[in-house]
Amino acid sequence: MTANTPLSRRRFLRSSSACIALPILESLGFRKFVSAAPVNVRPKRLIFMGFGWGVTRETWFPDQKQTGADFVLPAGLAPLERHRKDITVVQNCTNKFSNEAHWGSTFWLTGANRYAEPGQGFSNSISADQVAAAHLGNDTRFTSLQLGTPEAQEQGHGPGLSMAWDARGKPIAGVDHPDALFHRLFSAEKVSLKERQIHLAQKRSVLDLLTGELRSLKRRLSAADSQKVEEYAQSIRDIETRLGKEEKWMGVVKPAAPMGPPREGLKGREEIGLMYDLMLAAMQTDSSRVFTYRQPVNSLLSDLGVPYTGHDLTHYEPSQGDRMEFSQKRDAAQSALLAGFLDKLKSIQEPDGSRLFDHVTLAYGSNISSIHFLNNCPTILAGGGAGIRLGQHLVLPKDTPLCNVWLTLLQGVGIATERHGDSTGPVSALRA
Amino acid sequence: MNPRHLFASKSAVASVSLWARLFAICCLATPLESPAAQEGATPRITLDERHRDFLKAHCVECHGEKKQEGKVRLDQISFQLDTIQGADLWQKVLNNLNSGDMPPEDAPQPPPQAKANFLEALSQTLVAARRTLSDSGGRSLVRRLNRREYQNTIRDLLGVEVDVRDLPPDTGNGTFDTVGSSLFLSSDQIEQYLALGRRALEDAFSRQSSDLKRKGPLRIHVETEQVANRELRQGAEFHIRASEPVRQWWATVNQAAGNPENAGVLQEILALAEVRESPVRFYRHWSKLNGAPPPTEFGFKDPAEAEMKEDEFERVKRYADRYAELPRVGDGSYLFVFRVRPEEKIAPPASWPPGQYLLRFRVAALQGVPESWHFIEVGRPTVPGAYDLISAHQVVGTLEEPQVVEVPVTLTSTDRRPFAIREKRNNSREQEVALWVLHERKQKDWRPPSAWIDWIELEGPIPTAPTSDLFADRPPQEILAQFTATAFRGQTPRPEFIDGLARIYEAHRSAGASHEKALIESLSVVLASPGFVYLAEPGPDPGTETAVTQHRVPRHLSPAELASRLSYFLWSAPPDTGLLSTPDLASPKRLGEQLERLIQSPKSDAFVRGFVHQWLGLDRLNFFQFNPREFPGFDDSFKNAAREEVFRTFAHVLRNRGALSELLKSERVVVNGLLAQFYGLEGVTGDAWQPVSLAAGSPRGGLLGMSAILAMGSNGERTSPVERGAWILRKILHDPPPPAPPNVPQLSRLADRPLSPRERIAAHQDLPQCTHCHRKIDPLGFGLENFDASGAWRVSEKYRKSHSGQGPWPVDPSGVFFNGPAFKDYFELRNLISERVDDFAQGFTEALIEYALGRPYGFSDAQLAADILAHAKARNYELFAFFEGLVVSESFLGKR
Repeated sequence: MTANTPLSRRRFLRSSSACIALPILESLGFRKFVSAAPVNVRPKRLIFMGFGWGVTRETWFPDQKQTGADFVLPAGLAPLERHRKDITVVQNCTNKFSNEAHWGSTFWLTGANRYAEPGQGFSNSISADQVAAAHLGNDTRFTSLQLGTPEAQEQGHGPGLSMAWDARGKPIAGVDHPDALFHRLFSAEKVSLKERQIHLAQKRSVLDLLTGELRSLKRRLSAADSQKVEEYAQSIRDIETRLGKEEKWMGVVKPAAPMGPPREGLKGREEIGLMYDLMLAAMQTDSSRVFTYRQPVNSLLSDLGVPYTGHDLTHYEPSQGDRMEFSQKRDAAQSALLAGFLDKLKSIQEPDGSRLFDHVTLAYGSNISSIHFLNNCPTILAGGGAGIRLGQHLVLPKDTPLCNVWLTLLQGVGIATERHGDSTGPVSALRA
Repeated sequence: MNPRHLFASKSAVASVSLWARLFAICCLATPLESPAAQEGATPRITLDERHRDFLKAHCVECHGEKKQEGKVRLDQISFQLDTIQGADLWQKVLNNLNSGDMPPEDAPQPPPQAKANFLEALSQTLVAARRTLSDSGGRSLVRRLNRREYQNTIRDLLGVEVDVRDLPPDTGNGTFDTVGSSLFLSSDQIEQYLALGRRALEDAFSRQSSDLKRKGPLRIHVETEQVANRELRQGAEFHIRASEPVRQWWATVNQAAGNPENAGVLQEILALAEVRESPVRFYRHWSKLNGAPPPTEFGFKDPAEAEMKEDEFERVKRYADRYAELPRVGDGSYLFVFRVRPEEKIAPPASWPPGQYLLRFRVAALQGVPESWHFIEVGRPTVPGAYDLISAHQVVGTLEEPQVVEVPVTLTSTDRRPFAIREKRNNSREQEVALWVLHERKQKDWRPPSAWIDWIELEGPIPTAPTSDLFADRPPQEILAQFTATAFRGQTPRPEFIDGLARIYEAHRSAGASHEKALIESLSVVLASPGFVYLAEPGPDPGTETAVTQHRVPRHLSPAELASRLSYFLWSAPPDTGLLSTPDLASPKRLGEQLERLIQSPKSDAFVRGFVHQWLGLDRLNFFQFNPREFPGFDDSFKNAAREEVFRTFAHVLRNRGALSELLKSERVVVNGLLAQFYGLEGVTGDAWQPVSLAAGSPRGGLLGMSAILAMGSNGERTSPVERGAWILRKILHDPPPPAPPNVPQLSRLADRPLSPRERIAAHQDLPQCTHCHRKIDPLGFGLENFDASGAWRVSEKYRKSHSGQGPWPVDPSGVFFNGPAFKDYFELRNLISERVDDFAQGFTEALIEYALGRPYGFSDAQLAADILAHAKARNYELFAFFEGLVVSESFLGKR
């Protein structure tokens, strides 16, 4: 974009990305700032991965007395031992507005008050990853990627289509199957550039027609209805934004996949491991810089031969028989998968010789601690991207807003924001 | 004038004439009534003042004027929860009491009983306050089609099925999938609409052009014996070949053993206990024999592998021999649940057009096996171990007189997987292992076949009558206009829109696309447009509404809008011409006729499935698999049938003018052969669902005796009295417990010792935070303990050994309603519950309003509910009467 071109709406949308939450000029200013940065600085990436149903708190959280660098990883985290110096475990964070004892994902990254909007039984606000995407997502083919699992809808985790919620607090769809994600990332376009350009123009005229239809419909609707169908208008704008980006990337051939196409129908550990590999592949090819992953729990449990569902397993009180044992088995499996992911993040080299791990910021956890506990949300941080002090066990004051941690990460990757959700300020102890 | 007065003053003359009179009086030609009378004032949600003492005694000392700990003051807190801030502060109080953080450990603690009572009052008040604060004000928000409706609408319009799994799901928000405020729209979804619409149109074109060219249906036929006998022979030959080297190696070893120099060693080997027990183990000692060659020379890594190959060959040969002895193997094949022939298949040709087809097969049951084996299922194998079920059938034909089964199936352009028929079974590795252990290891035999299958055929496509005509011999502009008008369900599209579509058509034409392709591209835009996607009804005073002018006079719906409301309510599909062309549809007579017609139509199954499933929370049935070792018959086909029983029962009551109370207690059930066998009802066989009278003293009859309902109140292994009790409070008694509170401390008293179910749950009485809900929930759940996790009757409950090694415990189904009557067993409990039909009717009415009007039930709907209930009660709660009461209401007939 040149400075003296008039900023038509579409032109703006084409060249920028979905940063609707921000005042336009500020975001343009920010882009300028980013593009002025030296080319050889490796891009920063953020990954948020949640597992919905919480952990076995007796055996997952390190002893609260062992703070700082000197702490022992308990059984639930033991598979992460080789990464102990490269992860930080944070305790005592909470989303204070969360009251839904079965919703491990809905407010995890937003910290929203479900009842904040009058006349609405449910509302949400922007998730931390989308705040990041508005800033980090401009220069990649995919502004952000939301990974999910087909089971999430019917099996707890709470409302939402992925971990991500947009600037208006509406759910963002996720990619639920590894093979679908693979094709989105790497499958080559089957038609020529010229044809795709024609196709794009046709798509735009379709969107124009739909926008006109909506406008005429809105004129006839009551105010409340008219506000509701604004979702449609916003969706059209989002598609236009995406098309703008598509146009920008049209001449750029999709990168070669650093891995083969995945088999369909994988479950449990294989499914999660594959999603991890796909995220790595997306990072290696710089296809996106912001990721969320709403991980399956039931599929993992059945893979581990656990005869309980995610919810039933959270009720692992001693009187409930063998559930605690299985709950611990799940914790260990999740930690082992994470350890494998960290191994790979460390082994993959960036073009400048540094490790992918050094530029990534990873948060792993859930809004549910365990059982029906929503306090002390399990939180593991890793990666060198946000300047977080790693290798420590940080016990924060009781009921510290979880959004303070998200804010710290956002600021850490260079986003000039002062608050997120119900944050009260960044966590200074996290900063290196 | 308000219908409620009429309902209320009615004597119980239940007849259509009452229905007509009722309308005649409350003539809808007059303007709908004044808003003030309708809405009333916002109810005040107030926590009873008597609870102030609790705050004074336990909170105010620190959270009062002087100390204001944590900047929280409770001395001036308003007991009226009429703002979000007020509700949030009370939520904080509730959370801190629940978590045990307040009062602090070192402060005096409230007596448990007082704390429980306070918590109960506060949590209930908060639920009411949240509901009031999110009240719809009696307005239904515009909504898009949900997945089910979208699929049905495309089917009606184009005569093809779309796979809606690509669309984001609409459930999981705690409301019905018809509630506008919970139905979001995203850019992904609009792109999916465009893509799915295009695919549906392509299918419709390929289907319609095929229909035009072809005379009569397409058909393929498979004689199963031709496939089965060939495959069995090939299998046997393969194993003969594979095991041939085994026998060669053994022969060579034998030769070496016969060598005199090995005589001594031979005796030693033969004397080994291992060899005496299992002679083939002899070859494991080959290396001791001089001159014996190693197994690797013959292609095995060790003697064990050779044994396995030989064993496999023996088994296959044995089975093939036995198979050949079965009757009628010359003109059919046999189904086995395990090994031999696990399924018979038929593959649809790739060239066939998409559409509905008939799968037909001739089948017979084999005698001499348990009757529970005489069920087969039809499905489509997916990845190994997965199987998309289509239907299940009881085999009642005999070898002398086989039966023909017909199943409607769908072919889409992208899915050409074969259809497979197999014995009903669990899709679990665990069950397969159990079968192997039982039959091959323990009984050293095969698992006998259960059914003989003569042939399979596939025929179609079944003719459809889509409401759109894509092949009309007319100019494109007219086709576009006509299609759009149909797709918009009677609303006239704007000429500008049709012009826009025509431009898209032309653009594609001039880019070289065919007429058909250009039509597909332009019509797919219609299927993603607001006029198609939204069930939008213009406001009474569009665009000017503000918070100040909310209370305005609602307007009547136009005939087309009313037709859509009725059909999406009762069919989850667009209105047919019958509805759209009914003159004076809002008149009492016509409305009554159409209501009757819509409900009697099989299309209202879509309502029954959609509504009942969500109302009763049947999704919980999908949450877990039943343990196949303990409940081998409780597989997916059974689960489907159990769920279907709930739907069929509701539909039966509705269509036959039965009473709502029959869902609480009834002298009959609506079952098919599979469920009849499970319930132990004699004389019911086959797949047809039929009403059956129960013997006196049967625990069945009514929701509480249904397998689906009872199974939901379990985890697939053990019963959960808490789930069951909470379900009764929520769905039957209209006394829903507040949501499970977060952060309640664990019960520390519970040592790691086995507890009986009752002891386990009695622990809920330890903490006031638990007591205040569980004292209501638990007794009801215990009353159902005579039903095991699958809903079968039992008199004792046993734990799995690994849990405790103790038990079995005799079932004690007695209990006492909290602050209410006692019951000694399930039957008394059921009687007490069925007396609470007023509460049940209230909850049902609220759910029906929420579903039909697409808004969360709130105080604004209280009068509407009262009107409907009064009308229905005057007709002994006839189920149909609830629907009458609802559709005549001004809420249903008007737009606010």
